[in-house]
Amino acid sequence: MRAFLLRRLVHAVFVVWGVVTVVFFLVRLTGDPAALLVDATATREEIAHARQMLGLDRPLHVQYLDFLRAAPRGDFGLSIRERRPAMRMVLEHFWPATAQLAFAAIVLSVVLPIPLGVVAATHRNGVVDHASRLGSLFLQSMPSFWLGLMLILLFAVALGGLLPAYGWGTLSHLILPALTLAAAPLAQNVRLVRAGMLEVLQHDYVRTARAKGLAERAVIYRHAFRNAAGPFLTVSGLSLGFMLSGTIVIETVFSWPGMGRLIVQAVPGRDFPVIQAAVFLFAMLFVAVNLVVDVLQGLLDPRARVFEDAA
Amino acid sequence: MTTLPRIVPWVVLALVVSCGSAVGAAPPTSVDGVPIDPEAELVVALPDDTTNMDPRIGMGSIRSTYIRQVFESLVDVDRQGRPVPGLALTWKPVNDLTWEFALRRGVSFHDGEPFNADTVLFNLDRMFRKNLERWGIKDVAAGTSFEKVYPFVARWEKVDDFTVRVHTTEPSPNLWDVLGREPLVPRAWTIKNGVEGLNDKPVGTGPWKLVEWKRKDHMSFERNDAYWGTPGFTKRLRLQVIPEAAARIAALRAGQVHLVDAVPPLDAEVLGRNAAVRVVSAVQKLACRLYVNGRTKDAYESGGRDGAFLDPKVRMALNLAVNREAVIAKIFHGLALANASPVATVAYGYAAQPPYPYDVARAKALLAEAGFTAAQPLTLQLLFPAKHYGQAFDETVAAVVEMLKAVGVQVTLQTLDFGSLLQTLTKGTLPPNGGFAACRTSNNLDADDFVRDWASTTLVNWTPYPPELLSLYQATRRQVDAKKRLAALADLQQRVREWAPVVSLYQEKKAYAHSTRVLQFTPTPELNMDFRGVALKR
Repeated sequence: MRAFLLRRLVHAVFVVWGVVTVVFFLVRLTGDPAALLVDATATREEIAHARQMLGLDRPLHVQYLDFLRAAPRGDFGLSIRERRPAMRMVLEHFWPATAQLAFAAIVLSVVLPIPLGVVAATHRNGVVDHASRLGSLFLQSMPSFWLGLMLILLFAVALGGLLPAYGWGTLSHLILPALTLAAAPLAQNVRLVRAGMLEVLQHDYVRTARAKGLAERAVIYRHAFRNAAGPFLTVSGLSLGFMLSGTIVIETVFSWPGMGRLIVQAVPGRDFPVIQAAVFLFAMLFVAVNLVVDVLQGLLDPRARVFEDAA
Repeated sequence: MTTLPRIVPWVVLALVVSCGSAVGAAPPTSVDGVPIDPEAELVVALPDDTTNMDPRIGMGSIRSTYIRQVFESLVDVDRQGRPVPGLALTWKPVNDLTWEFALRRGVSFHDGEPFNADTVLFNLDRMFRKNLERWGIKDVAAGTSFEKVYPFVARWEKVDDFTVRVHTTEPSPNLWDVLGREPLVPRAWTIKNGVEGLNDKPVGTGPWKLVEWKRKDHMSFERNDAYWGTPGFTKRLRLQVIPEAAARIAALRAGQVHLVDAVPPLDAEVLGRNAAVRVVSAVQKLACRLYVNGRTKDAYESGGRDGAFLDPKVRMALNLAVNREAVIAKIFHGLALANASPVATVAYGYAAQPPYPYDVARAKALLAEAGFTAAQPLTLQLLFPAKHYGQAFDETVAAVVEMLKAVGVQVTLQTLDFGSLLQTLTKGTLPPNGGFAACRTSNNLDADDFVRDWASTTLVNWTPYPPELLSLYQATRRQVDAKKRLAALADLQQRVREWAPVVSLYQEKKAYAHSTRVLQFTPTPELNMDFRGVALKR
């Protein structure tokens, strides 16, 4: 296990380095931020002066080497738009706002599908199953910005301000954005759990477990679900990426001051340091979550223990 | 050279006493007999946060609303956008090459630092990038490089603690506007805290003191009870960021905010029918246009060809092809106006010009005269920064493209992000038959800020003044006699209208919506919202 983790750590360093390097050069291909800082009536000289002040007039390889020297210390430079340390800005927006929202949505989209999917599978073609399939289809096919606006109109306007229309900080602020963000992955996971359960419930070992006289609950959750959970876990891990990118829309609709909106403005604003810092954080999170998913899968299913092979 | 007594009377302001309440006076408990709540918090929903609070970095429309609550300028504006005394009580030319500003006494920054002539000199140093090392402060990437745009401003001096003189190397009739509208920051505080401090927790002389700034979420202020003018009539002010227009309006309808900025035209019409909501609007300086390539081949990366729109007949034809009335009625629901002058209707020196008529036949005839026929049509590659200026702008550009096609212009619309558009313009790589859709506004009050667009090679100048218009423009810049200058500006505007450097689309009227609890909110033509004297019903 230790060797596995060490190997994954080395992989992670290369993955993160690769990602930030690609992004470093890609964002610079998109154009020059200096023109965005000056008035539209600025002359070329004024733009050149702004570029020089930002250090963007230096050769690209010099900029890259400086970046490589500073980035491991968490120093991604000053935001071009806000003139504050880029990583500090990213972390300020990630924690707690985006982390809260993503965590709440992950809990909703990972925990709720288990009973919903299991019940739908064990009551196949029953009312619950039909309702669950219809509901899943409905939630998956609805654009999140539209769903968010409808929820605001319902809970904040039509129901007389039952829940706040915007902002963050309290549980009541979290409910609508978390529900909106969780809607599509929740629906997807319900369908995944249902499909997985329907498949494993046909297997002999389930019949054997029942024949042994095990309680139905034990059969379902200890034997069947454990085997059906593989794809569900993998997809849940990947859906973290969806959660983080999905927050961009949700944060805009609900005025949630998270990382998504920071990135949405950093990209068209050519705020290179902020984009690089955000991508670095995203890459780290992805790598970490995938590692956790690999370990969890191994714990659930010995056949998937990649870390034992490596040991 | 003209003599001083002929300077425009409202620029040569006599000593004007503070028109608001006395310093430190408590706000009233009623407005027009309606009881108000002076302890309340006014919550205003804005589409975006400011990226910084240092006025030197830029005074765009959103930033301006945040920055001007805290910082003030020498020249203030009234609700109609007319200049009134701010931190300067008077401004007048002492001779053709010297302006004198008499400063308001008894004004302090929020931390207690007194405002005086030293403050103004320090700010002029920052604006013109002088003595920064002496003050020990960093330079910033500024929106306007004063030392490059106004190189004729030679020096500034303190006459006494409350009088400052600015010397120029050539007459500059609008210097009061150029310098006077720039918000002023404290000297000692900035030296101590650095320019980073201005961005983190700024301290100004304005009507509101910044209490908390949660970036991308809200900025909270407390009323400056020591304010020299009319203070806010609520104890607190919260500028709440709600990017999505539908969510801003929902928050207003739910009673969770009191006032909403930037209401889209269609929503303004619908909200106007709601008895619990008031919709108000004001003409802005934002002028939206199609800029086309009228540069000569030596003035850009031309590939050896002059711009296809070098001939004024061609540009006039495009202007005549646009049905502005339809655009304003159908897309803006009346929240825009057509303006054939290059100067915003609310700027000082604006002279009304006859609108460009919608005349398809004449447009076609002009194109034919310019040598474009059905067999050899005029082509236009139009760069279009979608989702940058709002939905109504996007819809307008799409509609105008169809109108241009109707007179025989073959238009190719290329959608790109705003940064990429600027990249093209900076490099000067607009194709010979290229053009772009964009808007421009102004942080100043004088017409000069608009008519200088075609005087030097800038991002938006793709049809530089021909020599005779350039002379006329330069004359307006040097003419210190107000009447003569206004006449010269009017003449220039008429000539520019006929020369048609751009395809004028519309000038914006901005709509705001507020609950009926809000009293005395009046939108201004300026970029910022003003909450002085705004009250909430008890």
